[in-house]
Amino acid sequence: MSMAEAWRFLNQATFGATQADAQQVIDIGIEDWIEQQIGQPASLQLPYLNTLPVPDRPPQLQPDRVDSWFRNVVDGPDQLRQRVAFAMSQIMVVSEVGALRQAPYGLAGYYDMLVENAFANFRELLEDVTLHPSMGVYLSMLGNQRADPERNISPDENYAREMMQLFTIGLVELNLDGTVRTDAQGEEIPTYNQDIIEGFARVFTGWNYAEGANFNRARRTIPTQIMPMELYPDYHSGESKQLLNGTQLPEGQSGQQDLEDALDNVFAHANVGPFIATRLIERLVTSNPTPGYVERVASTFNDNGSGVRGDLQAVIKAILLDEEARSADTTASSGKLKEPLLRLTQLWRAYDARSADGTFVFRPSTNDVFAQGPLQSPSVFNFFSPFYAPPGEIANAGLTAPELQIATEFRNTLITNYFYTQVFRRHSARDGLRADEVYIVIEDELTLAANPDALIERIAEKLLGGEISETLHTAAKEMVETREADDVAGRVAEALFLIVSSPEFARQH
Amino acid sequence: MKRLSRREFLQATGAGLVATSPVVGLTQMATPTGSFSDYRALVCVFLFGGNDSYNMLVPRSDAEYNVYSRSRQNLAIDRAALLPISPLIRDGAHYGLHPNMGAIQTLFDSARVAFVTNVGPLIEPTTKEQYESGSVALPPRLFSHNDQQAQWQSLRGRAPGKTGWAGRVGDLLRSHVSDQQLATNVSLAGNQLFQAADETVAYTMGRNGPIPFQGMGDAQRAQQRRAVFQRILGADYDTMYERAYRDIQQRAVETVDRVSAALENAQPLSTTLPSSRLGQQLGTVARLIGVREQLDMQRQIFFVSTGGFDSHDDQLQSQPALLSDVSESISAFYRATVELGVASSVTTFTQSDFGRTLTSNGDGTDHGWGGVQFVVGDAVRGRELYGRYPRLEIGGPDDVRRGRLIPGISADQYAATLARWIGVPDEDLGHVAPHLHNFAQRDLGFLI
Repeated sequence: MSMAEAWRFLNQATFGATQADAQQVIDIGIEDWIEQQIGQPASLQLPYLNTLPVPDRPPQLQPDRVDSWFRNVVDGPDQLRQRVAFAMSQIMVVSEVGALRQAPYGLAGYYDMLVENAFANFRELLEDVTLHPSMGVYLSMLGNQRADPERNISPDENYAREMMQLFTIGLVELNLDGTVRTDAQGEEIPTYNQDIIEGFARVFTGWNYAEGANFNRARRTIPTQIMPMELYPDYHSGESKQLLNGTQLPEGQSGQQDLEDALDNVFAHANVGPFIATRLIERLVTSNPTPGYVERVASTFNDNGSGVRGDLQAVIKAILLDEEARSADTTASSGKLKEPLLRLTQLWRAYDARSADGTFVFRPSTNDVFAQGPLQSPSVFNFFSPFYAPPGEIANAGLTAPELQIATEFRNTLITNYFYTQVFRRHSARDGLRADEVYIVIEDELTLAANPDALIERIAEKLLGGEISETLHTAAKEMVETREADDVAGRVAEALFLIVSSPEFARQH
Repeated sequence: MKRLSRREFLQATGAGLVATSPVVGLTQMATPTGSFSDYRALVCVFLFGGNDSYNMLVPRSDAEYNVYSRSRQNLAIDRAALLPISPLIRDGAHYGLHPNMGAIQTLFDSARVAFVTNVGPLIEPTTKEQYESGSVALPPRLFSHNDQQAQWQSLRGRAPGKTGWAGRVGDLLRSHVSDQQLATNVSLAGNQLFQAADETVAYTMGRNGPIPFQGMGDAQRAQQRRAVFQRILGADYDTMYERAYRDIQQRAVETVDRVSAALENAQPLSTTLPSSRLGQQLGTVARLIGVREQLDMQRQIFFVSTGGFDSHDDQLQSQPALLSDVSESISAFYRATVELGVASSVTTFTQSDFGRTLTSNGDGTDHGWGGVQFVVGDAVRGRELYGRYPRLEIGGPDDVRRGRLIPGISADQYAATLARWIGVPDEDLGHVAPHLHNFAQRDLGFLI
């Protein structure tokens, strides 16, 4: 395997390719590397948050939660697990933006749940997501109660609707290859109607924080932010429930039975395979998979080869080992734009970023710079839409580029400026950094500063897998040479800045 | 104001002969055909999440309030707390505003505000019978956030269009405003379908304006760095992702300096805007309008937004603060336009995903359909309600389920009224609002 091949794979499977990881992939091969990764224990956030004093006000702990996320994704050995969890966190979205700002333990616990379920079965993941109190708060299943016609109260439809639209089946029926199914008239076929939304809304009644004296006294505490929601049977709807594919749950079932039956019902829907395959491929590999690629992954979702449906470990392998993810033949729509936060983590991983006090605390928020942060989406619709197509070449071709939705003039400027500050001011040759400032280690580059070509090649090895365009190389060299030979850190920074802000670094192959 | 129809452009440029579709036609209209003699701007305030607007404008008269109160139960606002308003033309009922909207009440009384009642996405006029029998074309995926935001922003109905209605307005006006140093469409709240277009590109800045690139200022090395940076962006790239990213970077680096320079030299405003995110965005819009002449701007469409309206929970706690911010920010922005002498040239209007169910989930509401929007400015024929105020009755003639109300006015009509005001000729309104031809009233009349 070539360096370029290893590099491409690692930018799909980790928070940023590094030379050490690439060498390991070359040595042992992709399949063994994946197996080793699956065997890695999960790096979690709650154990770290629990070592910190309980803050006076809960939102004060949110930067520590993000710090913990950065530690795990920058330095954690379980890179593949973390990358899959980050993808899942952008599909089954809960967010600090809103009421959950008050529940940092709950958010950390939710993320940990995603990390632990990265290679589990989708059905288990769906149940853990459904009963997590963070999701309960975010999509208002927590505290949702049966109808009270006297008071014009009906069950809340929020979780029912978004769980189907965004987490499992989507709005329209799909073929196994992810293309939209049409009826005899050529019209798309909705996956659900209002009766089905109301059916699921009834299913999701009666749940609240655990350990309440009763439904109305269930409260958020540090432990109940993390414990699965608990059923309070008096508040569960006893009415019948219309579900998908003509299934109807009878009157009077227990809330637990209704929940199991309803999640089984969604899980069995033919859309889940192509829907989840497409969402995961978009996060990990490419914005525009061919139907054949989606079909191969969806088929693995439907049956892992041993008759098991929803085996995420098999799905992840199918995504990463597919010929479309691995082939060296690329087209104008191969790959994707990197998620903005992944550009940062890749730089940090390649340059062994760290702070004197060991933290990665990012103030005020990664969202303010990158328009992206762990569990910081502006809404349940994630930072960008999977269907986003920028006007022009991409929209005209009927293709998509989700990440480009947040690549505005404003955001690109902020991110470019962030990188400018990082490479010119926060590096290992700089004195007087604050203890919590994250700096990059450029010792290696400093020794090459006298030789611009060698310097640029070295940076290209660390950030681009060794492949750099002539334009970029020439441009970087010109800027390096504006600095005196003894301004070694300045020389390194000039080259690093142009490379890390370049279109070629922004692309994931 | 000089209005040239698209047909006239095409004839003037000889392009009409080859133009077979609006898109193809537009590409032929590159020749400037004259500029406007005045300045006009639209400011869209998008209330993300779906504002429960039947708790924003509420009937106060006995019979109507009782129907409202029976439907809304614990979510009903106390009648005595409503802020009375007195429309010039009465439909027989009395109305009041949410208690936190005193600033809008004041502007309504001085005829600077009009409400448009029960407006929402429609393909064609729709009755409850038609809805229930399935005999009418409906916008797809009603009650879904992103789909209905897309309907409001694009008016695309069942077509797969990727452009927004403001983007199409920008395309139509393009040849009139070719001297402008900034795009007609500017967003202070991220990239929005509303402003996506075939021929023109919206410019996105932060809520406090654009920011310059670091290390690319006036010093000699900085100038060189900027030139090198731009040379990298001038290269060819293999993938469409790199090309799109490159184009955004190029626009950013080419635009920011002249906009920033104009803003730096601007006369400071004495009007203070609220410090909320919405207030900051509108304050920046006011500053940009203040430098319209330096930037040779004649037509502008701004997009600002605020969120948190998806009140499934705790609506009585969350919505009042949001409406208070909307009321204070928009009214302060109006005062800023008075200070700038452009109050009759700037029209502010709201849009939102949808109205909400009249029934509750206990302490919140679900996704609805029709709702109330409002329009502010001196060009507004204010102190009026446009459209029939619906009957807020569960199971009533306007309700399709749980108090989801069928709009009486389409979002196409609302947009077309705004588009005509900013300079789109009547014969081109169908390009902005594709379903307008299905409705008798092409102009709702709320703008002079």
